[in-house]
Amino acid sequence: MRKARKGETHVFRLFVAGNESNSLQARENLARLCEEHIKGRYTIDTIDVLKDASSAYKNHVLVTPTLILVKPIPAVTVFGNLNDTRQILAALRLKCPR
Amino acid sequence: MITAKRRPPRADATRGQKKEQQIQKVSTGISGLDLVLGGGVPAGRVTIISGGAGSGKTLTGLQCLLRGAEVGQAGILVMFEERAAAVRQDAWSRGLDLTRLERKNKLYLMEARLDPAGIVSGEFSIAGLLAVLDQRIKAMNAKLVVVDAVDALLHLYDNPMRERRELYALHEWLLDRRLTTIMTFKATPGEDVPGRYAFLDFMADCVIHVDQRVTAQITTRRLRVIKYRGSGYGRNEYPFIINEDGINLIPITSNVLQHRAPGPRVSSGAAWLDDVLGGGYKRGTSILIAGTAGAGKTTMACVFAQAACLRGERVLYLNFEESAESMASNMLSPGLALQPLVKAGTLGIRSYLPEAMGVEEHLFYSLRDLDELEPEHVVVDAISACKRMGSDQAAFEYLMRVLNVCKERGITCIYINQTAGLDVAAEISGIGVSSLVDTIVLLRHLLNGRSMERQLTVIKARGSKHSEQFHTFSITDRGLDRVKS
Repeated sequence: MRKARKGETHVFRLFVAGNESNSLQARENLARLCEEHIKGRYTIDTIDVLKDASSAYKNHVLVTPTLILVKPIPAVTVFGNLNDTRQILAALRLKCPR
Repeated sequence: MITAKRRPPRADATRGQKKEQQIQKVSTGISGLDLVLGGGVPAGRVTIISGGAGSGKTLTGLQCLLRGAEVGQAGILVMFEERAAAVRQDAWSRGLDLTRLERKNKLYLMEARLDPAGIVSGEFSIAGLLAVLDQRIKAMNAKLVVVDAVDALLHLYDNPMRERRELYALHEWLLDRRLTTIMTFKATPGEDVPGRYAFLDFMADCVIHVDQRVTAQITTRRLRVIKYRGSGYGRNEYPFIINEDGINLIPITSNVLQHRAPGPRVSSGAAWLDDVLGGGYKRGTSILIAGTAGAGKTTMACVFAQAACLRGERVLYLNFEESAESMASNMLSPGLALQPLVKAGTLGIRSYLPEAMGVEEHLFYSLRDLDELEPEHVVVDAISACKRMGSDQAAFEYLMRVLNVCKERGITCIYINQTAGLDVAAEISGIGVSSLVDTIVLLRHLLNGRSMERQLTVIKARGSKHSEQFHTFSITDRGLDRVKS
C-alpha cells in the first residue's frame, strides 16, 4: 500500500509531436487538469519526439500524444489528446476527496 | 457483343520481362520467390505479405533483410508483437546470427510493442514511431524496412476510418523516403483478408498471400502473388517448405520442355538384357521397371547401378521402401556388393519415409541429393510407395518434377513400380507416368508346372529396336541370368 502523503509531487512525462493539433490539445488539457486538481504539486516534462527520438524509443513511445504518469506509482500510460476529462481524472487518480 | 482481341494468357514469371526493365527490384533472398516475382519485390515500394499464424510471413521478411545485409544494404525490422530477443533466438536456431549483423549496423531490430495496459483517450497519431524510425533510417542509411504484424498497429485505432487514414499516411511516408518495405499482415485462414482491411491490398504495389493447409493428413504451405504493379509474375499457387535453411520454394517456371536429347547407349548391367533392349538403355532417358512383388525389379535396378558405378559413374538411389543398410545387405544374395560402392562415393543410397513429409519437402530433399551427388543415373524405388506422400496426384507431381529435372540435366532415370495383381499389363502405368517414360520393362511371374518362372518383356523403348518377346530369366548369385528354353 502506498502512503498518501501531503505535498506529494506528481511527475508527468508528455510526449508530443511538434505543434500538431492533438499534441497541442494534450498539452492544454493536461495543464488545465493539473491546475484544477493538484495545483503546485506537479511537474510536467514535455518531450518533442520530432526533436528527441531517442527518449521516445527509450520510453517505448510509438504514438503521440502519449502521457506517462511517472509518480506516484504505479505508472500509467495514456494515449491520445486527453479530451475526455472524466476518463483522464479517473485514470490518473486525480480525483482527490474534497 | 464486344469482340476484343484476347491476349494470350501470361504463362509464368519469364514473360513480361520488357516491363521489368522499368521497375527496379530487390531480391527477397529466397531464390524460388525471386523467380516467381521476376527478380524480387519492387524497390522503393510497399509489398504486403498476408497469411495465417505460422505461415512464414515474418521469416520471409527476415530473409529479405538478411539478404540485403549481405549485399551491404542496411535494413530495419519493426516488430509490433514480437520481442527482439525472441526473434534473435529463433534466427539463431536456424543458424542465422543476427547479432553479428546488428553489430555491423546492417540490421536493426526495433521493438514497437505498445503498453497493453495503456489507456486510449482521444485522437493520436504514430508520429512517435515515425520519428524513431526516421532517426534509425538516417543513422544506418537503411534502404529496407520490414513492418511485422501491421494489424497490431491497426487494432489500436478501433475505428475503420482512422485505421485506413493512418496506414495511408504511413504508406506515403515510406514512399517519400524511397524505402523498400515489406508489411506482414495476419489474415485468418479461409477468408483472405477481412473486408475491413481489404484496402491494404489496393494500397500496396505487390501483394503476396501465404497459407498452409492439410490434405490427407499432410500439411502443405502455399504462396500466391495476388498483384504486382508494373511487373509480370508467376500466377500460380506455389507450394513451399520451411526447413532449417528457411523458406524454400521450387516453382515450375519453365513452360517449355527443355529436355536434352537421349544420349548414347548405356549397359543395363547384363549383356543378354542389353540385347533384349536393343543395345541397352539410352543415357538421359527415363525407364520404368514394373512388376509384381518379388519379380526382381530392385535387383534389376541394382544390377544396372552396380555396373554403372564400376564404370566410375555416379548413381543416386532414392529408396522409399527400405533402408540403405537393409538394401545393401539384401543385394548380397544376387551377388551385388553395394557397400564398397557407397564407401567409394559413386553410389548414394538415400532412404526416405514417404508419409513423413509432403511432396514439396520430398522434392526439396531429392533435388538437394541430386545437387550434392551430381549423379549420371537416378533410381526411384518405388513410385508405388510415393502415393503415400499424400495422394496419387501428389505422387505424380513429385515423380514428374524429378523426371523433368533429370531430363534437363541429362540424367538417366529409372522408376520402379510395384503392381499388385499378377495381370501386370493392366496396371503397369503407375500413376500415369507411363506416358512420360521412354522405356518400359515389364517383369512377371508365370506358373510353369509346379514352379514360378520369372519373365521379362520390353513394352516400349522409344528410338530402339527392342525384342517383343517374353524372356525367361532367373536371379542367381551372379545377378540376372537368362534361362534358355
